[in-house]
Parts: sequence; C-alpha cells; structure tokens
Amino acid sequence: MRKRRAAIAVLGATAMAVSVAACGSSGSKSDKASGPGDFKGKTLTVWVMSGSNPPGWTKDITAAFEKKYPGAKLSVQVQQWGGIQQKLTTALSENNPPDVVEVGNTQTPYYAATGGLMDLTGDKADLGGKDWSPALNASAVYQGKQFAAPWYFSNRVVVYNKKIWADAGIKDTPKTQDEFFKDLDTIKAKGTQDALYAPGQDWYSFDGFLLDAGADLVKKNGDNYVSNLDSPQAAEAINLYKKLNSYGTAPKDKDEATPQQSDVFAKGDVGAFIGFGWEAAGAIAKNPQLKDQIGYFPIPGKPVGKPAKVFLGGSNLAIAQAGKNPELAKDFLKLALSDQFEGALAKEGGVIPNKTSLNSNLTGNPFATAASAAAVGGGTTPLIPAWGNVENKPNPISTIFMTGVLQGQDPSAAAKQADAEIDKRLSQKQ
Amino acid sequence: MGAQSTGTATEPRPPSASTPPTPPPPAGRKRSAGGLAARGAPYLLILPALVATAALLAYPLLRNLVISFQNLNAFQLIQHTTEWTGFGNYTDQLTSSVFWHTTFRSVLFTAANVALIMATGTLVGLLLNRLGKRMRLFLSLALILAWAMPMVAGTTVYQWLFDSQYGVVNWGLAKLGWHSMAGFNWFGGQFSTFSVITLMIVWQSVPFVALNLYAGLTTIAAELFEAARMDGATAWRTFRSVTFPILKPFFLSTAFLEIIWVFKAFTQVYALNAGGPAGTTQTLPVYAFVEGVGNQHYGVGAAISTLTILILLALMSYYFRIILKQEDDL
Amino acid sequence: MRRSLLGRFWPNAVAVLLFVFFVFPVYWMATTAFKPDIDIISKTPDFIPFHGTFAHFDKAVHAAGFWELVRNSFTVALGAVLLSLAIALLASFALARMRFRGRKAFVLVVMVAQMAPWEVMTISVYMIVRDQDQLNSLIPLTLFYMMMVLPFTIWTLRGFIAAVPKELEESALVDGCTRTQAFIRVVFPLLAPGLMATSLFGFITAWNEFPLVLILNKQSGQTLPLWLTQFQTNFGDDWGATMAASTLFTIPVVIVFLILQRKAVGGLTAGAVKG
Repeated sequence: MRKRRAAIAVLGATAMAVSVAACGSSGSKSDKASGPGDFKGKTLTVWVMSGSNPPGWTKDITAAFEKKYPGAKLSVQVQQWGGIQQKLTTALSENNPPDVVEVGNTQTPYYAATGGLMDLTGDKADLGGKDWSPALNASAVYQGKQFAAPWYFSNRVVVYNKKIWADAGIKDTPKTQDEFFKDLDTIKAKGTQDALYAPGQDWYSFDGFLLDAGADLVKKNGDNYVSNLDSPQAAEAINLYKKLNSYGTAPKDKDEATPQQSDVFAKGDVGAFIGFGWEAAGAIAKNPQLKDQIGYFPIPGKPVGKPAKVFLGGSNLAIAQAGKNPELAKDFLKLALSDQFEGALAKEGGVIPNKTSLNSNLTGNPFATAASAAAVGGGTTPLIPAWGNVENKPNPISTIFMTGVLQGQDPSAAAKQADAEIDKRLSQKQ
Repeated sequence: MGAQSTGTATEPRPPSASTPPTPPPPAGRKRSAGGLAARGAPYLLILPALVATAALLAYPLLRNLVISFQNLNAFQLIQHTTEWTGFGNYTDQLTSSVFWHTTFRSVLFTAANVALIMATGTLVGLLLNRLGKRMRLFLSLALILAWAMPMVAGTTVYQWLFDSQYGVVNWGLAKLGWHSMAGFNWFGGQFSTFSVITLMIVWQSVPFVALNLYAGLTTIAAELFEAARMDGATAWRTFRSVTFPILKPFFLSTAFLEIIWVFKAFTQVYALNAGGPAGTTQTLPVYAFVEGVGNQHYGVGAAISTLTILILLALMSYYFRIILKQEDDL
Repeated sequence: MRRSLLGRFWPNAVAVLLFVFFVFPVYWMATTAFKPDIDIISKTPDFIPFHGTFAHFDKAVHAAGFWELVRNSFTVALGAVLLSLAIALLASFALARMRFRGRKAFVLVVMVAQMAPWEVMTISVYMIVRDQDQLNSLIPLTLFYMMMVLPFTIWTLRGFIAAVPKELEESALVDGCTRTQAFIRVVFPLLAPGLMATSLFGFITAWNEFPLVLILNKQSGQTLPLWLTQFQTNFGDDWGATMAASTLFTIPVVIVFLILQRKAVGGLTAGAVKG
C-alpha cells in the first residue's frame, strides 16, 4: 500500500519533555575497540526512503564509514514508497532485517510499540541527543524511551510566482492572513485563474491550519483518544482551507500529487501553491523559465509577522531490534547524526537538521530559510501508535471530511461521518 | 522450498476393485485390459498437480484459516507471538453492516460486469467473424494490446482519461457540446466511480472473450450458417439456434472464469479510487485488503478472505453443478 | 444479394470505433512516454507528441538494477509457465482421456483452486516462506506463480487434449505404439496451439504479479512490477517515466502474443468447445 507522505511526520509542539537526558555510557560497546579485524566481511544494510538521501551525501558517508570501520561495507538501499508499511513490518519480523531503517516521524510511535525497534535510550548522549530540538525529537520517544533518532525535517511554505505577483502590482509578501487573502483577490482580479492552487485533499496542510486554530486531530476521552474533527477549531480550519481552494481550479477530491501540483505550477499560470522546495525544483526542471521567478514565504498567520503553525514532516533513523550488527548500526547512526553529516544533509537536501545549531547550513536556500522560520511553531499528527491506522488509504480526514466540506457538506455533518471512521480505526486492537 | 505438503485431504482415493475402467458409451475404445498399472495411471498423472495444490495452495489457505482465528497485527507478527481470539474476527464481520453492504455490492458489481463483458465480448467476437481479413487483424491487434497492457499502467491511464481538470474524456465531451461535463468529477460519486471501474474492467476483459469466441466460431462448419440463412433465419435466430448451442460449453466456462475474475478484481477497484468516495465502491477483496494488509490487521483480513471464499463458493455452487454434470456426459 | 454496400459498411465502421476504444488507452500510455513533462498535464490534450523525447525511456532503463530485474522477471515467469505446463499436461491428459474414481472430485479441486484469493493470502504465504528461510529467492516466487496459473492451465489444456480426435491416438496404438509413445508422437504435436495459448495467459499473470514479490523479496530477487512503481515517489510522481516503463513492460507480452497469435487464438476455445 502506498503511504504517500506518511513519512513526513511530525514534532510535538507540545514539548514532551524528554526525561532521559543522558545516561550515556552503558558500556555496551565493547566490540568496537578490539580492532579493525572485527569488521571484516560485515555489511551494514541501511534502508532509506526514496528521495531522502542526496547523492553527494550518500557517497561521502559511505566512504567515511568504510574508512572508519575498515573491512565493513555500507549498503544504502533506497526503498520505494509503494507498500513500504508492509515491507517494513515484515522486514522487522525477519531473522535478518536491515540494520538501520528510516521511519517517518508519524509512523515511529507505531513501530516503537511493535517492539521491532531497538531501545536507544542509553545511546542518546553518544548520538548527540542533548542538542536535538525537543520538538523534533518528540516523535522518536515512546513511553519515555528513545526508539529512534531524529534525522531531518521539512514543512510547507507558500511557493509563489514572482512575475504573476508583480504583474498584479503586489510589492511585498503578505505578513498576515488578511493580507494574504487580499493579495490573492488582487491576483484573481487581474485574470489569473489559479491565484492559488490548493487541492482539496492536501490534508497535511489542513493539519497545519488546525494546529494554528489551536486544536489537535485527536483529543483525550478518558484513557482513549478520539477524533476531534467535530470541533469549532476544525470547522474554522476547514473553512479557511475551503476559501484557499476557491482561489483556483484545484480539484476538491484529489491530493497534491494527482496531478503533481508542481507540474501544474510549472505551466507558469499559477500564482502560488502550498508546498516544498523540492516541488519548486521539480517545477523548474520542467519549465526552466521559472528559474528566477519563484519565491517563498511562510504561510502567514493571523497576528502580524507570526507565521501560521504548520505540519512538520520528517524522518527518524532507527535500529532494527533483530538486526545482526547492533554495534555497527549505532556507529553508523553516530556518523550520520554527526554535525558533519547532519549538516551536509541539510545543505545538500535543503531539509531542516535536528539541531538548531546546524541551521547555518540553510543559508542561501530561500525555501529552507522560509521553512525554518515556520518550523519553530510546527506541530505533528498525534504521536500515538494507533495514528498510523488513520492515515491508511482511504484516509478519512481527506476523503470524507475535507472533500465532503469542500463539496458543500456542513463541516459538522462531514466531521461526524469522518469521526466515526477515525474512532473505529483508533480503537482497533494493536 | 516454499512449503511442505500438509494434508492428505485431496489425496486421491486408491482405485477400488469395484470400479473397473468402464469405457464410456461411445464404444470402440480399445483399452488394453486394465492391469494394475493401467488403473494406477490416472492417479500417477494427477499426482504432481495434487501435490503442488496441496503444498502451494491448500497449505497457505489452511494457514490463512488459522490466522483468521488470531489477533495478528504488526506487533504479533514482529514479536512472533500468537494470540487466539476464537471466532472473534468472524463475529465482528458478520455483525457489521459494512461487511454485508460490501458483500451485496460485490455481488451486484460482479453480475453487472460479467453481463456486460459477456454481451460485449460476444458481439465483438461475432463481429470479428464477419469482418474482412485485414480489418479483423486490425481489430485483433487492438484487443491484444488492451489485454496485454499492465494493470498498473492501465489504471493510471484511466485515472488521467477521467481526470476532472485534465482528462481527455471531459475535454471530448465538452467539445462535443456537452459543456456541463467540463470539469465533471468522475470519482466524486458512487455511480460515476463504478461506471469508470466497469468501463475499465470491460475494456480489459472483452478481448479474452471476443478473441476466444471468434476462434470458437471458426470451428463451426460454414454449412450450418449457410443452412440457417437459406431458411431465412435472422441473425438473432442463427445465434440462438446454431451458434449458442454449439458453443454452449464455451459460454459456460468463460462466464465461470469471468465471474471469478471480476469478483476477485482488486487492482482495478483499489487503484482507481481506493474504494472511495467514502468506501462506497469497496468490494470484498478491497475491503479484505484495506482491513487486513492496509491496516495491518492480518487476522481480520484473513477472516474476511475466508468469508469471501465461502460466499464465492455459494454463488458458484449452481455452476459447479452444471459443470460437474457435463463431466458425466464426457 | 443480402450483403449490400451498407451491410458491408457497418461492421467496418463499428470495428473502427471499437479499435479506437481498445487502443486509445494504450496509445495514450505510449505517447505520454514520449511527451516532455510540461506537456503531460494539459488542459487541451496533446494527441500527437510532436516534440517527442526519449528522456523518460532513458531514465526508466537506467534505473538501478534494471537488467537484473529483467532477468529475474523472465526467469520467474518462464519458469512458472513451463512448470505449470508440465504438471498440467499430465493432469489434463488424465482428465480428458481417462475415467477414474475421484475424477469429479479432482475437477472440483481445480475449479476451487481457480478461486484462490491470492492478494489477501500474501501474509500467510509470506509467513510460510519466511519460516522456511526462503525469502529473497526466486524459487518460492516461481513455485507460487506456477500455482496461480496451474488451475487455468489444467482447465484449458484438458479441453485441447479432448479436442484431439481419439481415433488418431487409437490408430497409433493399433500401429503398435505404447500409450506414452502415442501421446508424444500424435497428441503432443497437435497440442502446440493449446500449449501456446495457455502459456501466454500464464506468462501475463506471472509477469504482472506485484503483492507477493513486494514482501517476499525485499533485499534481492525483485522483479519488474516493483520497478514500474518506483517512479512514483514521495517527492513527486514521474508520470513520464512510469508510462515509459509501462510501455517497455508491455512490449514483451505483445511480442509473445504476436508470435503466438495465429496459433494461440483458437486454442482456448477449441478446448472449451469440446470441453
């Protein structure tokens, strides 16, 4: 099954305090000191998701790893998104699983709960954990234990076509939501059919607006979590999204990948869309004329100068519990999360690194700069194991609630329908 | 090897002395007086097929049945633990209105599709028989291409063709003067989604029926058609009194295969709209997949698939009887 | 004459319409593969790619491990087809030519086997293969694909064998052949079209299979259907490359079909007719 974008997960704005500061040296790494001979014939298998590892970074880290641990081989295997969940679950059940796996942040609590991931609590300090941004690390912690390490993050911004905005006489990027709407009105009045292209099922964007309205996708009801779409905040967020959708011809029942919104934007007649830097790069690849025409700004919030909260996606690195090379796997994690390689990944991939001290690597990348401005206030989907069920296709948030409201249903009525399905999925036995 | 043989459930019964190899009525079969070897021969011949079926199909089905009595999710799979739930998965399904709606929908969906496929396939097959040589090759080629196109590509292309904004279909309808169809959302409603799915399944399945029917028609002696025409029979009459009776076994077994294929059709339904909008186009296999594999509740999925097999068996029992009766006539 | 000009006109007109109906999606796939990205999504469809490009094909063919996947796909599909033909030939001969106790039960087994819901059985198949330590191998894949096509193969071959007049075989027996010799010399050559027709069906099935190979062979032993989906990624679906890959993926099937065409189309029914 295809879990698009599931990987891009999240960080709890609710800074779940990571209790285990540093119980660092558990003395478990005995096999390392005993010399290079130990690594002979060992191959460390690392699963990364398609698109996560830039070529330069991959080449460099492979060389560095194999130099540092002579005799060992590093095999970075790129995984496709189609059916990744089944692949990961089955792989973790095998005798010979991949040693290190990339897990989307929204999926991490789910896999932590299955017991398939190794407890890294004792290694957190060695991995540089004391400097990780708490919000970015939240998804890697389950029941107080560290089951993964935060790797990289990203969030959506407004990507706009400078030429269309300038032609409409707009000089500055909007600083508030009201200004944003006014600008879109102006552009539309100038005859641009798609002032904004906001497809109706881009539910991660919707989640951002929901967070911005001050609510989460679930709420606690006794000991259980239940869906929270039938709430004033969700109604506010979806009405806002409906308004954004009405600024263009984007379909109400498709997500941002069908068709790829960057392909639509590449045609050059779309004022703006809400998306990522790689989408803008995709548009430029298809239409090189856009090269100097694309600008970015954080999604404006209501108060002046404060960006709206966004859904913060990202990935963690975890070690398979049943892996055959646990120490070597930790060594790899240490290398990948070192300032050198974490910084290189941020720089080459344009993603937000796990430590704010490494943000300097984003200089000169206009998308990442705009994104990191909003990332501070980013949030995630609920960090509970059962959440993965909700995102399974067909996702009730996008297919029932969003499309329902955008096609004219009353928010509360659509929410009740979606809530029923979400509650069913949240209460499924694990 | 993938599996080991489990049971002897399908093992052939040893030939018993009470059933001598009776030659069938159309006499003149000169079989050498049946020695033990001759009587054992048929069992030796079907043995490999039986062993393969036992090991590679019966055993996985049995495992599937066992799983259906378990609470088997990602956790249990990864931890290699077993949690029994008795008939829990079954009672959950049998008392769920979703399950029964889905079953009902699946049956209707199968009936409509198979009827369309058989009717269209037959007409196209008859047409092939009537066309000139060159035109026939031309149309056969199109049929073959449609049949050979991988499903992944087929579903993607259909999604595009029916895309509300960029789809050729809406563009064409608008061009033909049906302006309200510009921007029409095919995947927004149950009926229109089913229409697209049906169109696609018919498109994929008709070649099989049509090409084989044509091949069958070529085996009917031309004199029979000639005679019918001399009698002044209409095309419909000719079909009813000549073609259909002769090709009846063909229609029976093709319809049998199509019912199974359409009922089991998964990729087309799932890939086009994932059973949406809001689950209103979910069929049983899609439901089993979404619950079992998608949500990683393998026990639930196994229970649904077991129920699916039972339902299919019940639906086909009529067919089994007809086909088994044919066996008697052999 | 009853066949007037009009009478000849309408079948051809209908044939042309049908041709368009059946060929258009295939045509759309192939032309999309040649279109530059910017033309793939377009509000006014681009029916003929004047500015064709081979970039998508280039990308598809240069995907990591492409040739290994091609090799694996052919190995598995051909292996499954040949195995199932061999097994089915024996069984269908017994079904078509012999009367024996349990025959009907066997027919029933074959019919029920045809119904197996493979898509939802993947997890039990997976657990069996995993527990036998046979993951990432082509052998279990070949065996299970063989099983997927075996019932159909038996079913159709049985028809073909039944269609070979018994008299031919019998005269061979009279001439002093053993039953085996008679089969090999007389029946087998006449079965060629049937064997081809059935193997084509088996080939398409095995060639296209996705859910099982996805979870059985995660580290090695992968096949082309996995390659087909790899151009749809988290970072944008490359439709041009997907369509180019699909086009390449279709070609072997079409070639096999065109080679077998004359003999193959014929067969399935020949069997069923006499069934």
